[in-house]
Amino acid sequence: MANRAQIPTSNSALIAMIADEDSVVGFLLAGVGNVDLRRKSNYLLVDSKTTVKQIEDAFKDFTTREDIAIVLISQYVANMIRFLVDSYNKPVPAILEIPSKDHPYDPAQDSVLTRVKHLYSAESVASGRR
Amino acid sequence: MEEEKKEIDFEIGMKQNQELKLEEEPQQQQKQVGDEHVLRFLDSVDNYLTLFESLSCTLRQGWLELVSARHSMGASRVNSSLLDLKVHSASTSLQVTPDIVDSMEEQPHFILRKWGSLYDGKCSYEDQNSKVDGLQGKSGSPLPRHRGKPQLSEEISPKQAPLMVDDQVQKKRSRSLSVFGTLVSPQLRAAQLSFETALETLVEIANMRSTMLSTFNGVHKELGVAKEIR
Repeated sequence: MANRAQIPTSNSALIAMIADEDSVVGFLLAGVGNVDLRRKSNYLLVDSKTTVKQIEDAFKDFTTREDIAIVLISQYVANMIRFLVDSYNKPVPAILEIPSKDHPYDPAQDSVLTRVKHLYSAESVASGRR
Repeated sequence: MEEEKKEIDFEIGMKQNQELKLEEEPQQQQKQVGDEHVLRFLDSVDNYLTLFESLSCTLRQGWLELVSARHSMGASRVNSSLLDLKVHSASTSLQVTPDIVDSMEEQPHFILRKWGSLYDGKCSYEDQNSKVDGLQGKSGSPLPRHRGKPQLSEEISPKQAPLMVDDQVQKKRSRSLSVFGTLVSPQLRAAQLSFETALETLVEIANMRSTMLSTFNGVHKELGVAKEIR
Protein backbone atom coordinates (compact mmCIF):
# COMPACT_ATOMS: atom_id res chain seq x y z
CA MET A 1 0.00 0.00 0.00
CA ALA A 2 1.32 3.42 -0.92
CA ASN A 3 1.73 6.33 1.54
CA ARG A 4 1.50 4.10 4.64
CA ALA A 5 3.48 5.99 7.27
CA GLN A 6 5.17 4.01 10.02
CA ILE A 7 4.01 4.81 13.52
CA PRO A 8 6.98 5.52 15.79
CA THR A 9 6.82 3.94 19.25
CA SER A 10 7.64 6.19 22.19
CA ASN A 11 7.31 5.96 25.96
CA SER A 12 7.75 9.63 26.79
CA ALA A 13 6.58 11.74 23.90
CA LEU A 14 5.72 15.38 24.44
CA ILE A 15 2.60 17.47 23.93
CA ALA A 16 3.43 20.71 22.10
CA MET A 17 1.26 23.85 22.24
CA ILE A 18 0.71 26.87 20.03
CA ALA A 19 -1.92 28.78 21.93
CA ASP A 20 -2.89 31.90 23.90
CA GLU A 21 -1.46 32.73 27.32
CA ASP A 22 -4.19 31.26 29.50
CA SER A 23 -4.29 27.96 27.60
CA VAL A 24 -0.50 27.60 27.67
CA VAL A 25 -0.28 28.50 31.39
CA GLY A 26 -3.08 26.07 32.19
CA PHE A 27 -1.51 23.16 30.37
CA LEU A 28 1.91 23.96 31.85
CA LEU A 29 0.28 23.71 35.28
CA ALA A 30 -0.73 20.19 34.25
CA GLY A 31 2.96 19.36 33.74
CA VAL A 32 3.41 19.25 29.96
CA GLY A 33 6.14 21.90 29.82
CA ASN A 34 9.54 20.77 28.58
CA VAL A 35 12.75 22.73 28.02
CA ASP A 36 15.62 20.74 26.55
CA LEU A 37 19.38 21.27 26.81
CA ARG A 38 19.31 23.59 23.81
CA ARG A 39 16.76 25.73 25.69
CA LYS A 40 14.09 24.78 23.18
CA SER A 41 10.63 24.57 24.67
CA ASN A 42 7.61 22.62 23.47
CA TYR A 43 5.26 25.59 23.39
CA LEU A 44 4.74 28.92 21.66
CA LEU A 45 2.72 31.55 23.47
CA VAL A 46 0.72 33.51 20.89
CA ASP A 47 -0.19 37.11 21.64
CA SER A 48 -0.82 40.28 19.65
CA LYS A 49 2.88 40.68 18.91
CA THR A 50 3.40 37.17 17.53
CA THR A 51 3.90 37.15 13.78
CA VAL A 52 2.48 34.64 11.33
CA LYS A 53 6.06 33.67 10.41
CA GLN A 54 6.78 32.75 14.04
CA ILE A 55 3.65 30.63 14.17
CA GLU A 56 4.56 28.92 10.88
CA ASP A 57 8.10 28.22 12.08
CA ALA A 58 6.84 26.81 15.37
CA PHE A 59 4.31 24.59 13.57
CA LYS A 60 6.94 23.27 11.17
CA ASP A 61 9.37 22.69 14.04
CA PHE A 62 6.86 20.84 16.24
CA THR A 63 5.58 18.66 13.39
CA THR A 64 9.09 17.57 12.41
CA ARG A 65 10.42 16.84 15.90
CA GLU A 66 10.46 13.14 16.73
CA ASP A 67 9.83 13.63 20.45
CA ILE A 68 6.42 15.31 19.97
CA ALA A 69 3.28 13.17 19.60
CA ILE A 70 0.46 15.72 19.84
CA VAL A 71 0.40 19.39 18.82
CA LEU A 72 -2.33 21.50 20.39
CA ILE A 73 -3.08 24.63 18.42
CA SER A 74 -5.78 27.17 19.16
CA GLN A 75 -8.24 27.13 16.27
CA TYR A 76 -8.00 30.89 15.70
CA VAL A 77 -4.18 30.50 15.44
CA ALA A 78 -4.63 27.55 13.07
CA ASN A 79 -6.76 29.80 10.88
CA MET A 80 -3.74 32.10 10.46
CA ILE A 81 -1.75 29.21 8.94
CA ARG A 82 -4.72 27.27 7.56
CA PHE A 83 -2.95 26.21 4.36
CA LEU A 84 -0.09 24.71 6.34
CA VAL A 85 -2.41 22.90 8.79
CA ASP A 86 -4.67 21.51 6.06
CA SER A 87 -1.75 20.24 4.02
CA TYR A 88 -0.40 18.28 7.00
CA ASN A 89 -1.40 14.63 6.76
CA LYS A 90 0.93 12.56 8.98
CA PRO A 91 -0.55 10.36 11.72
CA VAL A 92 2.04 11.50 14.30
CA PRO A 93 2.18 14.08 15.69
CA ALA A 94 -1.58 14.46 15.79
CA ILE A 95 -2.72 18.07 15.27
CA LEU A 96 -5.65 19.00 17.52
CA GLU A 97 -7.35 22.36 17.07
CA ILE A 98 -8.58 23.54 20.47
CA PRO A 99 -10.92 26.37 21.42
CA SER A 100 -9.68 29.51 23.13
CA LYS A 101 -11.35 31.92 25.54
CA ASP A 102 -12.50 34.31 22.83
CA HIS A 103 -12.92 31.82 19.96
CA PRO A 104 -15.11 28.77 20.59
CA TYR A 105 -14.50 25.55 18.70
CA ASP A 106 -16.03 25.46 15.22
CA PRO A 107 -16.27 21.96 13.69
CA ALA A 108 -16.65 23.48 10.22
CA GLN A 109 -13.09 24.83 10.43
CA ASP A 110 -11.48 21.68 11.89
CA SER A 111 -8.97 20.39 9.31
CA VAL A 112 -9.66 16.70 10.01
CA LEU A 113 -13.43 17.08 9.67
CA THR A 114 -12.96 19.25 6.59
CA ARG A 115 -10.77 16.61 4.99
CA VAL A 116 -13.29 13.88 5.61
CA LYS A 117 -16.34 15.98 4.73
CA HIS A 118 -14.73 17.35 1.53
CA LEU A 119 -13.93 13.95 0.06
CA TYR A 120 -17.23 12.48 1.17
CA SER A 121 -19.15 15.40 -0.33
CA ALA A 122 -17.13 15.12 -3.56
CA GLU A 123 -18.17 11.48 -3.88
CA SER A 124 -21.83 12.24 -3.30
CA VAL A 125 -21.67 15.10 -5.83
CA ALA A 126 -19.94 12.87 -8.39
CA SER A 127 -22.54 10.12 -8.01
CA GLY A 128 -25.32 12.70 -8.44
CA ARG A 129 -23.94 13.73 -11.83
CA ARG A 130 -24.14 10.26 -13.34
CA MET B 1 -36.02 -38.62 -23.49
CA GLU B 2 -37.99 -35.57 -22.57
CA GLU B 3 -37.69 -36.49 -18.93
CA GLU B 4 -33.94 -36.89 -19.29
CA LYS B 5 -33.76 -33.49 -20.97
CA LYS B 6 -35.76 -31.97 -18.15
CA GLU B 7 -33.42 -33.55 -15.59
CA ILE B 8 -30.36 -32.31 -17.45
CA ASP B 9 -31.85 -28.79 -17.71
CA PHE B 10 -32.71 -28.91 -14.00
CA GLU B 11 -29.14 -29.91 -13.12
CA ILE B 12 -27.71 -27.19 -15.35
CA GLY B 13 -30.02 -24.68 -13.70
CA MET B 14 -28.95 -25.86 -10.21
CA LYS B 15 -25.28 -25.55 -11.15
CA GLN B 16 -25.80 -22.03 -12.52
CA ASN B 17 -27.58 -21.04 -9.28
CA GLN B 18 -24.73 -22.43 -7.22
CA GLU B 19 -22.19 -20.52 -9.33
CA LEU B 20 -24.19 -17.32 -8.92
CA LYS B 21 -24.33 -17.84 -5.14
CA LEU B 22 -20.56 -18.39 -5.05
CA GLU B 23 -20.08 -15.14 -6.97
CA GLU B 24 -22.50 -13.25 -4.71
CA GLU B 25 -20.98 -14.45 -1.39
CA PRO B 26 -17.73 -12.46 -1.59
CA GLN B 27 -19.73 -9.42 -2.79
CA GLN B 28 -22.07 -9.77 0.21
CA GLN B 29 -19.11 -10.15 2.55
CA GLN B 30 -17.53 -7.09 0.98
CA LYS B 31 -20.78 -5.18 1.45
CA GLN B 32 -20.91 -6.21 5.13
CA VAL B 33 -17.32 -5.06 5.65
CA GLY B 34 -18.14 -1.80 3.87
CA ASP B 35 -21.21 -1.24 6.07
CA GLU B 36 -19.12 -1.95 9.16
CA HIS B 37 -16.55 0.66 8.08
CA VAL B 38 -19.27 3.22 7.48
CA LEU B 39 -20.85 2.58 10.89
CA ARG B 40 -17.50 2.79 12.67
CA PHE B 41 -16.68 5.98 10.77
CA LEU B 42 -19.99 7.62 11.72
CA ASP B 43 -19.58 6.52 15.35
CA SER B 44 -16.07 7.95 15.49
CA VAL B 45 -17.21 11.29 14.03
CA ASP B 46 -20.02 11.48 16.59
CA ASN B 47 -17.67 10.60 19.46
CA TYR B 48 -15.10 13.12 18.18
CA LEU B 49 -17.64 15.94 18.26
CA THR B 50 -19.00 14.86 21.67
CA LEU B 51 -15.50 14.83 23.12
CA PHE B 52 -14.86 18.32 21.79
CA GLU B 53 -17.99 19.59 23.53
CA SER B 54 -16.75 18.05 26.76
CA LEU B 55 -13.32 19.60 26.21
CA SER B 56 -14.84 23.04 25.65
CA CYS B 57 -16.71 22.80 28.99
CA THR B 58 -13.61 21.66 30.86
CA LEU B 59 -11.43 24.38 29.34
CA ARG B 60 -14.03 27.06 30.13
CA GLN B 61 -13.97 25.94 33.74
CA GLY B 62 -10.16 25.95 33.76
CA TRP B 63 -9.96 29.46 32.28
CA LEU B 64 -12.48 30.73 34.80
CA GLU B 65 -10.51 29.25 37.70
CA LEU B 66 -7.28 30.70 36.30
CA VAL B 67 -8.84 34.14 36.03
CA SER B 68 -10.16 33.83 39.61
CA ALA B 69 -6.69 32.85 40.81
CA ARG B 70 -5.21 35.83 38.98
CA HIS B 71 -7.80 38.07 40.62
CA SER B 72 -7.07 36.77 44.13
CA MET B 73 -3.28 36.46 43.85
CA GLY B 74 -2.66 39.42 41.61
CA ALA B 75 -1.86 39.66 37.92
CA SER B 76 1.88 39.89 38.60
CA ARG B 77 1.85 36.51 40.33
CA VAL B 78 -0.05 34.58 37.67
CA ASN B 79 1.33 35.37 34.24
CA SER B 80 3.50 33.89 31.55
CA SER B 81 6.64 35.82 32.51
CA LEU B 82 7.04 33.52 35.51
CA LEU B 83 7.17 30.38 33.37
CA ASP B 84 10.13 28.15 34.08
CA LEU B 85 12.67 28.57 31.28
CA LYS B 86 15.32 26.44 32.97
CA VAL B 87 16.10 23.03 31.52
CA HIS B 88 13.48 20.58 32.75
CA SER B 89 11.63 17.59 31.36
CA ALA B 90 7.87 17.26 31.15
CA SER B 91 6.19 15.53 34.09
CA THR B 92 3.20 14.68 31.92
CA SER B 93 3.96 12.94 28.66
CA LEU B 94 2.53 10.41 26.22
CA GLN B 95 3.10 6.80 25.36
CA VAL B 96 2.60 6.13 21.64
CA THR B 97 2.17 2.63 20.27
CA PRO B 98 1.14 1.42 16.81
CA ASP B 99 -2.29 -0.22 16.73
CA ILE B 100 -2.95 -2.57 13.82
CA VAL B 101 -6.50 -2.26 12.47
CA ASP B 102 -8.11 -4.99 10.32
CA SER B 103 -4.63 -6.60 9.92
CA MET B 104 -3.77 -4.01 7.32
CA GLU B 105 -3.42 -0.47 8.53
CA GLU B 106 -1.45 0.91 11.45
CA GLN B 107 -2.84 3.75 13.49
CA PRO B 108 -1.23 5.46 16.49
CA HIS B 109 -2.64 4.83 19.96
CA PHE B 110 -1.90 7.46 22.62
CA ILE B 111 -1.80 6.85 26.37
CA LEU B 112 -1.39 9.73 28.80
CA ARG B 113 1.35 9.51 31.41
CA LYS B 114 0.07 12.05 33.92
CA TRP B 115 2.81 13.01 36.41
CA GLY B 116 4.72 9.91 35.33
CA SER B 117 1.76 7.55 35.88
CA LEU B 118 -0.06 5.83 33.04
CA TYR B 119 -3.65 6.86 32.44
CA ASP B 120 -5.61 4.68 30.04
CA GLY B 121 -8.85 6.61 30.11
CA LYS B 122 -10.45 4.42 32.81
CA CYS B 123 -8.10 4.40 35.74
CA SER B 124 -4.64 5.51 36.51
CA TYR B 125 -1.95 3.09 37.52
CA GLU B 126 1.73 3.45 38.14
CA ASP B 127 4.17 2.50 35.44
CA GLN B 128 6.78 -0.12 36.25
CA ASN B 129 9.65 2.36 36.58
CA SER B 130 8.00 4.52 39.20
CA LYS B 131 6.90 1.40 41.10
CA VAL B 132 10.46 0.03 41.16
CA ASP B 133 11.85 3.46 42.08
CA GLY B 134 9.27 3.82 44.84
CA LEU B 135 10.07 0.43 46.35
CA GLN B 136 13.79 1.03 46.16
CA GLY B 137 13.36 4.35 47.90
CA LYS B 138 14.90 6.44 45.16
CA SER B 139 13.26 9.53 46.61
CA GLY B 140 15.62 9.18 49.56
CA SER B 141 13.22 7.82 52.15
CA PRO B 142 14.46 4.53 53.63
CA LEU B 143 12.41 1.37 53.26
CA PRO B 144 10.68 0.31 56.50
CA ARG B 145 12.44 -2.43 58.43
CA HIS B 146 10.52 -5.60 59.08
CA ARG B 147 11.45 -8.09 61.78
CA GLY B 148 10.36 -11.63 61.59
CA LYS B 149 9.31 -13.43 58.46
CA PRO B 150 10.26 -11.86 55.14
CA GLN B 151 6.73 -12.60 53.85
CA LEU B 152 5.47 -9.70 55.95
CA SER B 153 7.40 -7.19 53.81
CA GLU B 154 5.89 -8.70 50.67
CA GLU B 155 2.40 -8.35 52.13
CA ILE B 156 2.88 -4.75 53.22
CA SER B 157 4.79 -3.22 50.25
CA PRO B 158 2.01 -3.67 47.63
CA LYS B 159 -0.29 -1.61 49.89
CA GLN B 160 2.36 1.01 50.48
CA ALA B 161 3.24 1.35 46.78
CA PRO B 162 0.00 3.18 45.73
CA LEU B 163 0.39 5.59 48.67
CA MET B 164 4.00 6.29 47.71
CA VAL B 165 2.96 6.90 44.10
CA ASP B 166 0.20 9.30 45.25
CA ASP B 167 2.79 11.17 47.30
CA GLN B 168 5.08 11.45 44.29
CA VAL B 169 2.22 12.72 42.14
CA GLN B 170 1.30 15.32 44.77
CA LYS B 171 4.94 16.42 44.97
CA LYS B 172 5.08 16.87 41.20
CA ARG B 173 1.81 18.82 41.27
CA SER B 174 3.17 21.10 43.99
CA ARG B 175 6.39 21.61 42.07
CA SER B 176 4.42 22.70 39.03
CA LEU B 177 2.41 25.17 41.16
CA SER B 178 5.52 26.49 42.91
CA VAL B 179 6.40 28.47 39.76
CA PHE B 180 3.72 30.92 40.92
CA GLY B 181 4.89 31.08 44.51
CA THR B 182 4.85 29.02 47.70
CA LEU B 183 1.33 29.89 48.79
CA VAL B 184 -1.10 29.66 45.91
CA SER B 185 -4.79 30.25 45.69
CA PRO B 186 -7.17 27.22 45.84
CA GLN B 187 -8.52 28.43 42.47
CA LEU B 188 -5.08 27.87 40.94
CA ARG B 189 -5.06 24.29 42.29
CA ALA B 190 -8.55 23.82 40.88
CA ALA B 191 -7.39 25.19 37.52
CA GLN B 192 -4.55 22.67 37.54
CA LEU B 193 -7.02 19.81 38.02
CA SER B 194 -9.29 21.16 35.28
CA PHE B 195 -6.44 21.30 32.80
CA GLU B 196 -5.38 17.78 33.78
CA THR B 197 -8.92 16.64 32.95
CA ALA B 198 -8.70 18.54 29.66
CA LEU B 199 -5.49 16.65 28.83
CA GLU B 200 -7.25 13.32 29.40
CA THR B 201 -10.03 14.40 27.03
CA LEU B 202 -7.49 15.56 24.45
CA VAL B 203 -5.79 12.17 24.43
CA GLU B 204 -9.18 10.51 23.88
CA ILE B 205 -9.79 12.97 21.02
CA ALA B 206 -6.41 12.08 19.50
CA ASN B 207 -7.30 8.37 19.59
CA MET B 208 -10.74 9.05 18.14
CA ARG B 209 -9.11 11.11 15.38
CA SER B 210 -6.90 8.12 14.46
CA THR B 211 -9.94 5.82 14.38
CA MET B 212 -11.91 8.29 12.29
CA LEU B 213 -9.14 8.65 9.70
CA SER B 214 -8.49 4.91 9.44
CA THR B 215 -12.21 4.05 9.08
CA PHE B 216 -12.57 6.84 6.54
CA ASN B 217 -9.70 5.33 4.54
CA GLY B 218 -11.52 2.00 4.70
CA VAL B 219 -14.74 3.57 3.37
CA HIS B 220 -12.80 5.35 0.65
CA LYS B 221 -11.22 2.07 -0.46
CA GLU B 222 -14.63 0.41 -0.55
CA LEU B 223 -15.94 3.18 -2.79
CA GLY B 224 -12.94 2.71 -5.06
CA VAL B 225 -13.52 -1.05 -5.26
CA ALA B 226 -17.23 -0.52 -5.97
CA LYS B 227 -16.37 1.81 -8.87
CA GLU B 228 -14.00 -0.79 -10.38
CA ILE B 229 -16.69 -3.48 -10.23
CA ARG B 230 -19.09 -1.21 -12.13
